Amino acid sequence: MINRRFSIIWYGAVGAVLLGSALWSFFPMYWMLSTSLKENLDVFKLVPELVPLNPTLDNYIKLVFGANPIYRYFLNSVITSLGTVVISITLATFAGYALSRLRFRFRKSIMMGVLITQMFPLVVLLAPLYLMYVKAHLLNTYSGLMIAFTSFAIPFGIWMVKGFVDSVPVEIEEAAMVDGCSRLQAMYKVVLPLIIPGIVATGVFAFLDAWNNLLFPLILVNDISMKTLPPGMILAFGGEFKHDWGGMMAASTIVSLPVVAVFVLLQRYLVEGLTGGAVKG
Amino acid sequence: MPKKISHLFSGGRRRDVDDSPKTAALLIAPSIIVVALVILYPLLNSVYLSFLKYKLTEPGNIAFALFDNYKRMLHDTTFFIAFKNTVVFTSFTVVISLVLGLVMALAIDQLPKRFSGLRGVFLVPWVIPGIVVGYLFMYMFDVEVGIVNYILKNAGLIQSYLPWLMRNDLAMIAIIVAHIWNQTPFYMLMFTAGLKSIPEDVKEAAYVEGASRWQEFWHVTLPYLKGILVISSLLMVIRNFNNFPIIFTMTGGGPVYATTTSVVYIYKLAFEQFNIGYASAVGIVWVLVLLAISLLYIKATQKDF
Repeated sequence: MINRRFSIIWYGAVGAVLLGSALWSFFPMYWMLSTSLKENLDVFKLVPELVPLNPTLDNYIKLVFGANPIYRYFLNSVITSLGTVVISITLATFAGYALSRLRFRFRKSIMMGVLITQMFPLVVLLAPLYLMYVKAHLLNTYSGLMIAFTSFAIPFGIWMVKGFVDSVPVEIEEAAMVDGCSRLQAMYKVVLPLIIPGIVATGVFAFLDAWNNLLFPLILVNDISMKTLPPGMILAFGGEFKHDWGGMMAASTIVSLPVVAVFVLLQRYLVEGLTGGAVKG
Repeated sequence: MPKKISHLFSGGRRRDVDDSPKTAALLIAPSIIVVALVILYPLLNSVYLSFLKYKLTEPGNIAFALFDNYKRMLHDTTFFIAFKNTVVFTSFTVVISLVLGLVMALAIDQLPKRFSGLRGVFLVPWVIPGIVVGYLFMYMFDVEVGIVNYILKNAGLIQSYLPWLMRNDLAMIAIIVAHIWNQTPFYMLMFTAGLKSIPEDVKEAAYVEGASRWQEFWHVTLPYLKGILVISSLLMVIRNFNNFPIIFTMTGGGPVYATTTSVVYIYKLAFEQFNIGYASAVGIVWVLVLLAISLLYIKATQKDF
């Protein structure tokens, strides 16, 4: 047992760091929420109100009935993100399983290739991808966006699922196969239930990736009604409305809410998946 | 026993009962097709485009230009400014977030177990979408209504309100601060996991030998965290070299080119000047830079773990 002498300086320092970290992490988010509940006149006050004195939901109501169809962007974001989650989970589970359990040629090179694709700057791919999407009639479509989002979500997912399958003892699967399961049945009935945390983590990351992605929908969608939230926010607040701070913060709150909710609910899986790989290898 | 067949006999049972290459191909093909379609093909196409004189505004005037685009880069001062900006922005962001993340992880590690849920709470800034981080910090760094100016002035640190996003040096500081806020939790998470992996008996041994907290940190904790430190830094260097949304929304790369990083520059070339040929050439050079760092990263992951 480590039983160090009580040191007021040490605990004071730890407390100060924790307090500082909490302020630093939360104040910006609090400020976003607080501003979103203020009227524009109050935002411009010389002495900022820490707590809105006349709280109002006007900024949120304007998101629905205002000039910019934020609710439409929201819907598009929900559809494409959830679609991306479903596709990524399916593809990454199959591929991750195969890379963990089956032995075949090019296995190592495929794994390396998958890892390296994660490092490429998305912006370099945009122009050729745009030209390709024009030819394939994928511009302004949900499927086009989902394919693009998926390609950046699965490399990570494949490694994640592979890591989890690696940790499942092969003997369990062999027993199932000796009892007459085919490999795919063994995978579905025995392995899948054991790697649920990895699959959830893959899904959460795919969701965050798709929801936060700005560049793909910025370039691959030019029809306003098909834009997702990030490029939609640029449309709404990039030009003459640049100083509608209340509206901007209300939209920011709405954009952040789903990802924060998903994160808070599924945080356990996320942390486990991410740090498991880093520490265990 | 040769490695290839040894696994067939492990435990006296045959593994890989119906392992035909077909099963493997069937399971992997869908993923490969998507990645090839959206990443590999455009990348190869980019190499081809980089040898062309190709402007979207002059569709009738596309011609083979061999190395013209690459030669142009050598005399393009903006290209070098963007490169310098990327290096400055990335080094400050990574180093400061790393130190803050380590300090936070160490402080949270001191908390009793029942408060460990707090760790998750500190992670929230990390999942806030880049575009929101960009707009939020643009608002907080605004000259007139920005809370940053208000706080600094009332604390007596500045005499008058600073035009953060309109002055070259200040704009760079502002985008670095926004990124640090966004990324520190990632390091905190990594270091927290690393701290958990330090065996209790090693810490106890250090304590019994009379090591102070400070000595324990330098001689026990830090060496254990080295691997994680190297890997997460390399990963974050790559991430920041690719970073786009926060800079794009906060400053748009301005004032003039003061916060234009390589990625923002490539975007501007392709989608504001519509010079696809030149943008592709700059992009290919950038991919090579990232590839070099990625190889370092892969080597580091394999060596340490």
